[in-house]
Amino acid sequence: MTGLRLAPARRARLPALLPALLVAALLATAAAQDRPLDPRVFDIGRELRCPTCVAESVGESNAAIAREMRALIQEQLDAGADRREVLGFFQERYGDWILLNPPMRGMNLLVWLLPVAGAVVGLLVLARLLQRWRRAAEIPVDVDSAELDRVRTEMQDQLGDGAVR
Amino acid sequence: MSQIRRLVPVVAVVAGLTALFLFGLLRGSPDRNIPSNLLNRPVPDFDLPLFERYMSDFGPRLSLAEARGRPLVINFWASWCGPCYEEAPHLQRAWLDHGEEVFFVGIQTQDRDARAAGRAFIERFDLGFPNVIDDDSRVSIAYGLFGVPETFFVRADGTLQHKFVGPVTESVMREQIGALLR
Repeated sequence: MTGLRLAPARRARLPALLPALLVAALLATAAAQDRPLDPRVFDIGRELRCPTCVAESVGESNAAIAREMRALIQEQLDAGADRREVLGFFQERYGDWILLNPPMRGMNLLVWLLPVAGAVVGLLVLARLLQRWRRAAEIPVDVDSAELDRVRTEMQDQLGDGAVR
Repeated sequence: MSQIRRLVPVVAVVAGLTALFLFGLLRGSPDRNIPSNLLNRPVPDFDLPLFERYMSDFGPRLSLAEARGRPLVINFWASWCGPCYEEAPHLQRAWLDHGEEVFFVGIQTQDRDARAAGRAFIERFDLGFPNVIDDDSRVSIAYGLFGVPETFFVRADGTLQHKFVGPVTESVMREQIGALLR
């Protein structure tokens, strides 16, 4: 651990600087917390997954990390970054996982393509079934004449003579 | 026979949906063990305030740049985090065994304005390696942290060898530090 010790001159100046540093840090923190956030912060936040939450975005979550991330987004917007650059900043650190709209490449393509493929397959199956049902309805049913007579007799018995022709 | 054949797709769909339901029911909480995007890349530098007990050795702040050239173990923790209490003795033990060859640093993060609780955590385990305060969680964001605890094992060239999610154990420390020193 000895390799990280500070030079004596630098250490001597530190006690004098500490109160000023503390006040500056407190003021900066208070200013950052009091300031209302740009609506764009929430728009961008809604595209980012909150790292410590379940099924919540940075834009919606009240978790401490989400609040810090929103403050960071505000700082980046203030510095002139656009939406794509802000999303890229978080993507570089967390990977594609952080994006609630995963980019259309690699395995992520499945997320986009599977629902479309599912819908297409579903429509094809439905079309095939409808075709089969229609064809089945068109084919005349070959009924045995003895069986037809039996049904006719039973219906006459139940409904009366005029009901069945 | 044709009746059975007609039932096959229905049974297949019901079985598929049941399997999906059981998978959702049994898989538990979402898996946080997502590979770090920093793997094999240089880890970000940081310059953070130290807890008082380390100031006599390091000054008021610790900059990672000062520890470059040595393998690093960077542990992120919070005073409210149960598993962090579980792993702290293993970190202290590993530091006692390898502190000369490997630089250890603890980072209290996602724990705003909890310096007293952080101090109590350190005192409780008598942590000998330096611990710093990431009050606004900016370093945790720079490291792509999903939660606490997480431990980063960094090679001497500054690139990330492994990120361990959850409380480290003695065997994890032995295995990862062994790889750092090979």
